[in-house]
Amino acid sequence: MDDSDRANMALISATGVSRHVEGPAGRLDILDDVSLEVNAGETVAITGASGSGKTTLLALLAGLDLPSSGSVRLDGHALDALDEEARARLRLRLVGFVFQSFHLLPALTAEENVLLPLELDGAAAPLARARAALASVGLAARGAHFPYQMSGGEQQRVAIARAFVHQPRILFADEPTGNLDHHTRDAIADLLFRLNREHATTLVLVTHDPVLARRCGRIFDLVDGRAVAHTA
Amino acid sequence: MISARLALRSLRREWRLPELRTLAAALLLAVVVLGAVATLAARMQRAIVMNSASLIGGDLAVDAASPLPPAFAQHAHALGLRTSRFAGFPSVAFAGGRSQLLSVTAGDAAWPLRGKLVVANPSGRNANVHAPAVGEVYVDHRALVALGLQAGQSLQVGGMTLRITGVIQQQPGAGDLIALAPRAVLSLADAQRAGLLGTGSRAKHQLLVAGSPAAVAAYRAWAKAHLPGDAHLVTPEEVQQRLAVAFARAGTFLKLSGLLAALLAGIAVALSAQRYARRKTGEVALLRALGASSRFAFGSLAFTLAVPAVLAALAGVGIALALAALAFTYAHGLLPPAARAAPLPLGPAFAAAGIGIAVLGGFALPPLARLQSVPPMAVFRRTAIQASRRYDALYAVPVLVALGLLALETGSWKLAGVLAASLSGAAAFTVLLTLVGLALIRRYAARLGPALRLGVSALARRRGISLIQTCAIALGLTALLLLAVIAPNLLQSWRQELPPDTPNWFVINIETAQRADIQRALHAVGATGFNAMPVAVGKLVAINGVDVENAPFRGHDLREEAAQQVRLSWATALPAANRIVDGHWFQPDAKTPEVSLDIAWIRRFDLHLGDTLGFLVGNRRIDARLTSIRQVDWSRFNVNFFVLLDPAHGATLPHTWIASFHLPRTRSAALAGFSRDFPSLSLIDVNQLLDRARQIVAQVGAAARWVLAFSLIAGALVLAAALTMSAAERRHEAALLRTLGARRSQLRLAALCEFGLLGAIAGLTALLASALGGMWLAHSVFRIHAFTPPWATLALVALASAVAVAALGLAGTRKIVRTPPLRLLRRD
Ligand SMILES: Nc1ncnc2c1ncn2[C@@H]1O[C@H](COP(=O)(O)OP(=O)(O)OP(=O)(O)O)[C@@H](O)[C@H]1O
Ligand SMILES: [Mg+2]
Repeated sequence: MDDSDRANMALISATGVSRHVEGPAGRLDILDDVSLEVNAGETVAITGASGSGKTTLLALLAGLDLPSSGSVRLDGHALDALDEEARARLRLRLVGFVFQSFHLLPALTAEENVLLPLELDGAAAPLARARAALASVGLAARGAHFPYQMSGGEQQRVAIARAFVHQPRILFADEPTGNLDHHTRDAIADLLFRLNREHATTLVLVTHDPVLARRCGRIFDLVDGRAVAHTA
Repeated sequence: MISARLALRSLRREWRLPELRTLAAALLLAVVVLGAVATLAARMQRAIVMNSASLIGGDLAVDAASPLPPAFAQHAHALGLRTSRFAGFPSVAFAGGRSQLLSVTAGDAAWPLRGKLVVANPSGRNANVHAPAVGEVYVDHRALVALGLQAGQSLQVGGMTLRITGVIQQQPGAGDLIALAPRAVLSLADAQRAGLLGTGSRAKHQLLVAGSPAAVAAYRAWAKAHLPGDAHLVTPEEVQQRLAVAFARAGTFLKLSGLLAALLAGIAVALSAQRYARRKTGEVALLRALGASSRFAFGSLAFTLAVPAVLAALAGVGIALALAALAFTYAHGLLPPAARAAPLPLGPAFAAAGIGIAVLGGFALPPLARLQSVPPMAVFRRTAIQASRRYDALYAVPVLVALGLLALETGSWKLAGVLAASLSGAAAFTVLLTLVGLALIRRYAARLGPALRLGVSALARRRGISLIQTCAIALGLTALLLLAVIAPNLLQSWRQELPPDTPNWFVINIETAQRADIQRALHAVGATGFNAMPVAVGKLVAINGVDVENAPFRGHDLREEAAQQVRLSWATALPAANRIVDGHWFQPDAKTPEVSLDIAWIRRFDLHLGDTLGFLVGNRRIDARLTSIRQVDWSRFNVNFFVLLDPAHGATLPHTWIASFHLPRTRSAALAGFSRDFPSLSLIDVNQLLDRARQIVAQVGAAARWVLAFSLIAGALVLAAALTMSAAERRHEAALLRTLGARRSQLRLAALCEFGLLGAIAGLTALLASALGGMWLAHSVFRIHAFTPPWATLALVALASAVAVAALGLAGTRKIVRTPPLRLLRRD
């Protein structure tokens, strides 16, 4: 397919996606026939009760895992047609992540954590870009600090800087504020949405916080692995 | 490149991680032990050759029936070697109406090049000297007594009158198994002038060379190609087969100790790498999620391990060399004085560093490679990591590395095989024992008390880690028991092969009629353990009816060897230090001649039981059937023969007798009278050889103690690494249990059960594996057949180790039990 085709279709498209695992008590269906399309520039919240399959869906959309049936396309690439290494290259080019538990490398400083995606990609002028990204989350002065020397909110800001630094087209965030207190939660959410706007990134956000969900353009609600509502 | 950068950045903080420190320390130890031992062994080898050199008087000798062409000395000088000529011959000396046959050495001013000629000058003081000046002679005490002379007086040899200017105390060549009459040393010039060396004399001429090992080796090659027909090379290595056995054993023993220590370190490395890999699982998953290739993730981890490893290895080389240098300078028991002068060999220490890196590669590769299969999904859920069997085959790598290491270092696949089999047997046994134990636990845990259940079910829950832990501790303990208990015991058995009353003199040329008189005379001077064997000198003439000249030997050398003189003996009972390895010992009433051969002959001439060998003794031909194959322990100082005939037929051959006996050193002078009474006999003094053999055992023992000290540290590292493997899980569990209200004493009891079981399994395995492995080593590698494992000591040490494991495990959990649960939960 050529670039004009790709421009016309959804950036992320999941069709009839199911995921099940074999457990001790037989087959366990985590996701059942879920379809979802996300266009470039959209912001989508995936909501649902704990255990409803939000994280599983996010991982499938990001190509971290493969569905048991159905297919996922990311920027027009059928993920199941790629091997793990090719999917990794695609993620590197296309995707940024923010996790509930930050997931910074403990042995690297804040600046080096932010540098990581740039260096993996072999990008030009990585240091300047990493510093700019840190500055944009208000941590310009903390570049030399290690994760253990920072608060949870600060760590999450470093993680957000890392997610945006290589200008990905899609940002996946799994409960980005789940581990934080009230005030910090709002500050982090503000930061996330501001950067998302500035970079015109497509955002897929998992949360069970209704306030956060309502800030997105669309809510995709899961109950026991099935899509129940599409709130616009 | 980027992965290297990431690795270096990570290292800034991660060098504090206990597993990286353990890994570096283990590697450092391995390199230090292997390096120091190899350096010492190389130096010792050199010392031993130098020692033997002192027996022949040079680093190499060319022995000929007539004086050698001048080219031999010229070539030696061209290679930068020092040379000396001497001749040995029997000659009768006269003084005041008495006469005595002397064994004369006529040397030039440089003789001896190696070893010492020590004489007491007339004033009674000992001095290190070379061959005397023209007109002078040195004689030994026996010659003085026989001729009724004193130092300072004169005697006549070959028509010359020579003044006695010294009494020989020690002389190179004293260990030679050549007939030794009382000795005299005079100058080569005198001997030539008196015509003592002319054609028709029985003199043997020797050219000695000495210098750097490389030059000596070059000369050896040259001389071999240019030897006249009547000449042959005498090398220190082949002077004494008896010592050769001791040297070989010494080398093997040292290497064995070094290797066990290195393997211990290898286990610690493997455990650390395993733990490091487990710690990094989450990070690898994250890197994969961020889009890093699996090669990148593997590369950065491998690099993180490689940097401290290389640094540790280099530091190890430095420490090993320093220790070796220190040992040379201060540990006098370790090396003979002669060896301390030689420069420190650098090669072995660097080779050890290479081996250390190989150990790291082999032992750390499997867990790291396994990380490549960590799915990116694991950033969300650790359980997404499925046990991949794909990398299981990689666990063969450390096994192969270990085996290769063993074989390379010992140069013996047999030793490597025995050790590898013992260790893998131990591992298999541990796995079996652990699995059975865990199965029993799962079955009966419900009936146990709560604390017990908690402890043992913890083992069952962490099956993978439990298996690794028990295996590591069991293997570590096995290696330690082999080093600390079995090795000293082997040494002890070895030492006992040369008890204080080991024969230190041989007498040859005894006529049958003299035997009883000689035994009586020797008894009178205080000799004990008199043991006489008949000797007939003959030739092997036919094998299975085919003339030796026409026999299809593999190679010309064998034919020559077969044509040489052989000494035959016979005995009613199997002589000491002999073992039958195949066939049966002679029946007393054999109808037809039977023969028993040493295994070396069997191999050399490719013989089989039932073959017929024809021997010619004088003009008597005897055709004997091969009915038994013996293994002779040549390291014993007994009279031994390659060829034994059945007594009924042997006794019909013309023969003399050879006897061995023990005479306390202080009585040696009494033999002067004995040799005067029996002038036709030749006495051979093997005291120096015995000293050397005993010295070797002592040196090896001293070196082994050094190795053991390091091995204990390596063992402690293994233990620490193994016990902390489950620390993270344990901390988490303990915190949870505490939160749920478990009492401290319950947690402690649970830990005690867990580690007690671990210790018991490891201790039992180590006990059995080290005892069986030790027996196997003793019999098939060291050929020490009198060895029995010291069961009581082993059991005691094994028990103590099991208790130590339990105690250390318990001590390790103390902090966990004391800390408030919340802090513990937070830290994960
Ligand atoms: N590999 C697996 N094996 C067994 N069960 C699994 C596996 N992966 C997910 N599940 C189950 O699938 C369900 C959905 O999991 P998922 O993590 O997607 O939920 P979630 O909506 O993100 O929940 P939360 O809000 O608590 O994070 C859960 O019940 C979980 O236990
Ligand atoms: Mg979730």
